[in-house]
Amino acid sequence: MRTDCIIYTILGLLLIALLLGAGCTQTPSATGPSEIKIGVVASMTGPASTTGKDIWQSAELAANEINAKGGVPVRELGRSLPVRLIQGDDESTREGGMKAVTKLITQDEVNVLVGGYSSAVVSAHQSIVADNKVPYIISGASSSAVSRRTDLDTSYMFFHRPNTDDSAEASIQFLTDVFRPAINEKFGFSNDRKLRVAVIYQDSPFGKGQLDAVKALIPAKNLPIEIVAEEPFKMGESDFRTVLTSVRAKNPDVIYAVTFLNELVPMTQQARRDVGLNTVIMAIENNDDPDYYSGVGVYGDGMIMESRFSPYAVPAGSTEAATRKFLSDFDKKYGGFAGMMGAATYESVYVAAAAIEQAGSLDRAKIRDALATIRVPQMMEIMKNGTISFSPEFRESKFELYVVQLAMDQKSGEPRPVIVWPESLKAGEFSIPDWYTPGSP
Amino acid sequence: MNLAQVRTPKNLLAAAILILALALPFLVGQNLYLLTVLVLMLIFIIYSSAWNFLTFSGQGSLGHAAFLGLGGYAASLATVRLGLPPLLTLVLGGLFSAFIGILIGITCVRLREWFLAMVTFGFAVIIQTLVVSQLAPVTGGWDGFAVQKIVPTTIPGYLVLEYYVVFLIAVLVLVLFYLLLRSRIGLALAAIRENETEARAAGINPVPFKLFAFGLSAFVSGIAGGLEIFHFGYITPEIFGIDLSFWPIIYSITGGLGTLAGPVIGTIVVTLLWDGLNVLGLTYGRFIIIGVLLVLIIIFLPRGLVSLPEEIGKKWGRKGK
Amino acid sequence: MDGGIAVLGQVAFWGLYSGCIYILLATGLNLIFGVMKVVNFAHGEFLMLGTYITFFFFVISGFNPYLLLFLSIPILIGAGIIVERLCFRPILGTGKLNEIFISLGLIYIFQNGVAMVFTDEWRSMKSPFADLTIGIGPIQLPLDYIIIVVITAIILVGLSVFLDRTTTGKAIRASSQNRKGAMLMGINVERMDMLTFGIGAGLAGAAGTLWAVSGQVFNPYMGSVPAIKGFAIIILGGLGSIPGAIIGGLAIGMVENFTAFFLGGSWKDAISFILLIVVLLVRPTGLFGEAGE
Repeated sequence: MRTDCIIYTILGLLLIALLLGAGCTQTPSATGPSEIKIGVVASMTGPASTTGKDIWQSAELAANEINAKGGVPVRELGRSLPVRLIQGDDESTREGGMKAVTKLITQDEVNVLVGGYSSAVVSAHQSIVADNKVPYIISGASSSAVSRRTDLDTSYMFFHRPNTDDSAEASIQFLTDVFRPAINEKFGFSNDRKLRVAVIYQDSPFGKGQLDAVKALIPAKNLPIEIVAEEPFKMGESDFRTVLTSVRAKNPDVIYAVTFLNELVPMTQQARRDVGLNTVIMAIENNDDPDYYSGVGVYGDGMIMESRFSPYAVPAGSTEAATRKFLSDFDKKYGGFAGMMGAATYESVYVAAAAIEQAGSLDRAKIRDALATIRVPQMMEIMKNGTISFSPEFRESKFELYVVQLAMDQKSGEPRPVIVWPESLKAGEFSIPDWYTPGSP
Repeated sequence: MNLAQVRTPKNLLAAAILILALALPFLVGQNLYLLTVLVLMLIFIIYSSAWNFLTFSGQGSLGHAAFLGLGGYAASLATVRLGLPPLLTLVLGGLFSAFIGILIGITCVRLREWFLAMVTFGFAVIIQTLVVSQLAPVTGGWDGFAVQKIVPTTIPGYLVLEYYVVFLIAVLVLVLFYLLLRSRIGLALAAIRENETEARAAGINPVPFKLFAFGLSAFVSGIAGGLEIFHFGYITPEIFGIDLSFWPIIYSITGGLGTLAGPVIGTIVVTLLWDGLNVLGLTYGRFIIIGVLLVLIIIFLPRGLVSLPEEIGKKWGRKGK
Repeated sequence: MDGGIAVLGQVAFWGLYSGCIYILLATGLNLIFGVMKVVNFAHGEFLMLGTYITFFFFVISGFNPYLLLFLSIPILIGAGIIVERLCFRPILGTGKLNEIFISLGLIYIFQNGVAMVFTDEWRSMKSPFADLTIGIGPIQLPLDYIIIVVITAIILVGLSVFLDRTTTGKAIRASSQNRKGAMLMGINVERMDMLTFGIGAGLAGAAGTLWAVSGQVFNPYMGSVPAIKGFAIIILGGLGSIPGAIIGGLAIGMVENFTAFFLGGSWKDAISFILLIVVLLVRPTGLFGEAGE
């Protein structure tokens, strides 16, 4: 009995100590800010951790570059401050994101937040950001449902990514302006024949968002396109044979595939090899990654993809040097290729620094106001009007998206992308592959 | 009941935790991070206790997120569509969840453990598929929809109030379970758990009791789901995720299966361990540690952490003599 | 244009092919259940280990990946024996729920252990026959899939010969039919437990190799869903019944693919559970399950 009593007391005290210890980790310093604190919301663990690491490392790269140049001048203080990044691991879950963001805001007292990937995770911690009025440059969460929420104040949230409508619009535009005329000409179809598009999409916010955007766009712009199939598949699926067999029976001219990279590789192989579907697959931007080109091999030849940041097809012009430098610096430091999410986060850190410089203050409200009017010259990803700026209504930046076509490269034994659209960026012409058969007339 | 009986170390500890929990907001002040952690912890204490209650009847579930999610969706839909206050819709969500829970229970009462585990696991998968496909016009599909918070954010210090609301519900739930387990129902459940055939022989019809346990467990899980959604202010189908089905199991086993304090202690200890390991920068390692902990506890400490003082006491006592 | 029959025939073949993986998993689960009356929910992790072993040795050696079956099977038999000895033996007879919960722990350990070594990126590899197809009637079938179906058949025949003809096999069957009786006859039942668990894991390892060879992608978390389905299959087919596992595996493979064809791919996972619940509503012991078990 006595021992029991003692043990319970000790356990109880331990528990209290743990609880309090978890909360009180640091005390604020009294001598004014000595650094700029940027919180990076990234999925360091859980299913999205591959992208999460990319986000964190790219942010680190940007912060190191800024600090190497002497930090960010802050007018109010009359001196430059270095940038310190603080990691917030959202664990790829809503609960984890909520905890991480609350900690960044209230414990670490960050001046700005950047990052955020999954729409579901971001939607769960938006309320904390809104309540505490912290400027947040979100480089993920492509769902418009997240950026256009009306139930809470999103005025502190800035979205540096194309939303689902933007990327769907670019892809569909390409299909209407280039793809449809090309097959009409080659196969002698009449000019009023509608293009037969089959959509295969991941059954997730990401996939469903793209499908909805495509479906809304066609009547809105009165485009000569007909959706002949809508086939969902489970996230992480690797067996698409049945879905593709079903799509083949609908005789599409092109397959619009909303997938992750790990899904697009088997889908492309199975379409061409197993199911004998001789149709071009149009994929979207997140698949433009070296792993796709090495994974898909010969079956990728002739396929097309909407993109904004590509490992092999760097658009010529002002952004080329910055992109090449970023890619090689990243490879040197971490080994491997930085993806689209990395690039956007890298830019976001620079945008945050520019906003602080423009505001001349570390005050969150002043930084927000600076972000609302900021105009940063485009860095790596090509922006509309050549500048990163946020739209007045929903604070979304506008990207100049492009389309690449894959062609086999004999030296590497893998396909390589060539930009074929739009006119201003293209490095080659779109061509219909020899093996291609169109859908029924 | 005389005073000596009440003043057992266990009760004293429980009282101490209670007082501490009540006073905590004053200790941590307006520390939003700690309050968020605590609110989530309390929600999971409610949820794990609900899951654990099912094991009192000898049943188990691998898909309890189904009830968490059903409660969450029912509560938030009632709030958004009908304009009812969250405190009322919480109960509605729980009732809806209980209703579905009893339906599933009817399927399950005749099944053995493995089958039950499968059916509950599968049920969560089926519900999630339904919510994002056929029911999408109502549920918003994968996009989900926004809901108000349980305490309007316009009130200053709303998180403290929210903490007390969740705390109050957690206490009510635990008291309810405590009273139930001490009642005849509790005895009947224990009899069924130990040996269903003998219970039958003693004149106990296990079916209504098992259904009751299933329904109540689903009810409380549904309330936990509603609380979580009203805490986030946004609902998405991720609430049906497999990880959310597994966490209450891990919490309850770590704390001690089939004890009232088990899920409470387990949730607190594992959450702190989990967040602590994150601070240390462990990623995959965290899961491995949790996995190893689970295996070790099942093998060497089958009654969980709550039995630790007793076990240590036994060892000490033996050595002392 | 090929007719509807050809399309359905093709879908049926995809069903047969994906059924092979399920059959190997379910047969292993059932073998283990027969002898130990234990269900290992972490069985899918053996499948996952099988894919990674195949992938790793394929990358470093460049052997024909089908030969790697001779590597993945023995390694997983070993792994199975260790898991049985360390985790399942201590809790044997302490309650069915404990087995389920200990499997949860094992799932976390295996998945994240592999993720620590290989990261959790999706991987895939290429069979040397990847580009060969064979035409049967109007249908073009990749050679790999035909090989996979044949290998599965060979493994199953080999297993049944082992169980029927060898002394050890007979001892396993005896332990499965009557544990106490087998003990009385001088059979070391605990050794049979380890052996069966090993064979079950080995079959999952074989499934893993076939999974990887067929060009399907994999990551450390890929095992859970197939394992859960494997378990649904043995409930459908009857616990402990190996022919039941084969029929159930084929049935689930077919049903899934026809569901994806007619209802859409998002129902692919849910349909097996709907089928399971419907069957259990009608027959609480499964389709071919003995009532007494």
